[in-house]
Amino acid sequence: MMTFLNYILSGISLGSIYAIIALGYTMVYGIAKMLNFAHGDVIMVGAYICFFAVSRYSLPPLVGVIAAMAVCTVLGIVVERLAYKPLRAAPSLAVLITAIGVSYFLQNGAQLLWTPNPKVFSSVVGTGRLALFGGQLTVSYVTITTIASCIVIMVALSWFTGNTKMGKAMRACSEDKGAAQLMGINVNSTISVTFAIGSALAAVAGVLLCSAYPTLVPTTGAMPGIKAFTAAVFGGIGSIPGAFLGGLLLGVIEIFAKAYISTQLSDAVVFAVLIIVLLVKPAGLLGKQVSEKV
Amino acid sequence: MLTVENIDVFYGAIHAIKGISFNVNEGEVVALIGANGAGKSTTLKTISGIMHPRNGKITFLDEDITRTEGHKLPAKGLAQVPEGRRIFQQMTVMENLEMGAYIQKKVSAEDFDNVFSHFPRLKERRSQIAGTLSGGEQQMLAMGRALMSRPKLLMLDEPSMGLAPILVEEIFNIIQEFHTSGTTILLVEQNAEMALQIADRAYVLETGKIALSGTGKELSESDEIRKAYLGG
Repeated sequence: MMTFLNYILSGISLGSIYAIIALGYTMVYGIAKMLNFAHGDVIMVGAYICFFAVSRYSLPPLVGVIAAMAVCTVLGIVVERLAYKPLRAAPSLAVLITAIGVSYFLQNGAQLLWTPNPKVFSSVVGTGRLALFGGQLTVSYVTITTIASCIVIMVALSWFTGNTKMGKAMRACSEDKGAAQLMGINVNSTISVTFAIGSALAAVAGVLLCSAYPTLVPTTGAMPGIKAFTAAVFGGIGSIPGAFLGGLLLGVIEIFAKAYISTQLSDAVVFAVLIIVLLVKPAGLLGKQVSEKV
Repeated sequence: MLTVENIDVFYGAIHAIKGISFNVNEGEVVALIGANGAGKSTTLKTISGIMHPRNGKITFLDEDITRTEGHKLPAKGLAQVPEGRRIFQQMTVMENLEMGAYIQKKVSAEDFDNVFSHFPRLKERRSQIAGTLSGGEQQMLAMGRALMSRPKLLMLDEPSMGLAPILVEEIFNIIQEFHTSGTTILLVEQNAEMALQIADRAYVLETGKIALSGTGKELSESDEIRKAYLGG
């Protein structure tokens, strides 16, 4: 029973990281209508920044996290301006290929700057554990922090898009950019803000990911990025609650597959579940069925 | 108030608007009428900065807006109700109206009251998701949304499109109300008969050029117009 609970907790914890990354994917997709495949690599950059701030310059972990968020925010805005904005009117395939290019650029840039040698990331919340049920169930601080961060981020984002002027403008842009412009909304700066928020979240995800799995290499972000993309599609791409739900489910399924089926096959199981869900609900769990207007 | 001088607009290689000039004076209702594809909507899109002309000049309230980015125009007093309404389907009626007031620092209760006085039905439906409204209500929402920016010039693109005759009547009455309350109106319509009834002046567009112009009365009495647009 306790092992089962433990699996659930690690699943939710891993899923929370996927969810935070998926939120970035889904917001950018919702507004810019593009899949930013470089999003996973922003995670890696965030983790490196935090690593250097904390391990090299001995800054407090919180400062490291804030530095990572700041750098990733700027990185997100710059990448959007330089790589994606000139392609606003281009076919989506061109944008997709550019995003893959940016992804490799960031990975190779990281190799050049920080070498491919693995860095050992030290957890930003320490390695302590909380013992529950008289020690039968232990929960690491990282797990608690990860789950809590994910919930806080989810609530904050829902509040932001539902209640603030900027958040509503983002929803307006995601529905109809032309009409949004007629309202006086600056679509370009709205897209910039979206990239900024998504990238700041990626930095948080990077720090949490490396706090739980401490090996940091330039390709650290690639696989979680793809998994989070899967989670976003799973939940219904473009939907914020969908990304949250998709991320959590994906994490739990992955851990269960590792525990009860096979460690090697866990990724295959995850993607098999995705395929089944998409066969039954092509728009994802919470996605809206969009009928193509003729 | 609005002066369009000799604009040429291209869709890629297609010369959609060929040297059109016209003007709208303060307090007027001006109609642009013409068949499908004559360039009416393109003209409106060019004025509201969605497209830009290759040549020519557009002046609004003595300011050159030929190359102004579209999102800066609502703050200058220009609002457009786009063709096909284009309301934000997944947002509530209230949120749609709030978006209409985006350029306002704070959304004022008076603006909502003003919209609701023209469209009492929107008040009843204010918490409803806009996509669930009927076609007529969606057109009202699109008009109310444009009103929220307190426009000096309101441009309406085919407000009667796809509506039942009784609703068309209602929509035109409301346009008249807007006009009486001091808003200048530029109306693009295929329904020439209705448009000419309320227009002070009108321009007839044919394949990207202005074929005719005159007062609403003159045009509705002209044989040419009767034959081409009013069914005899």
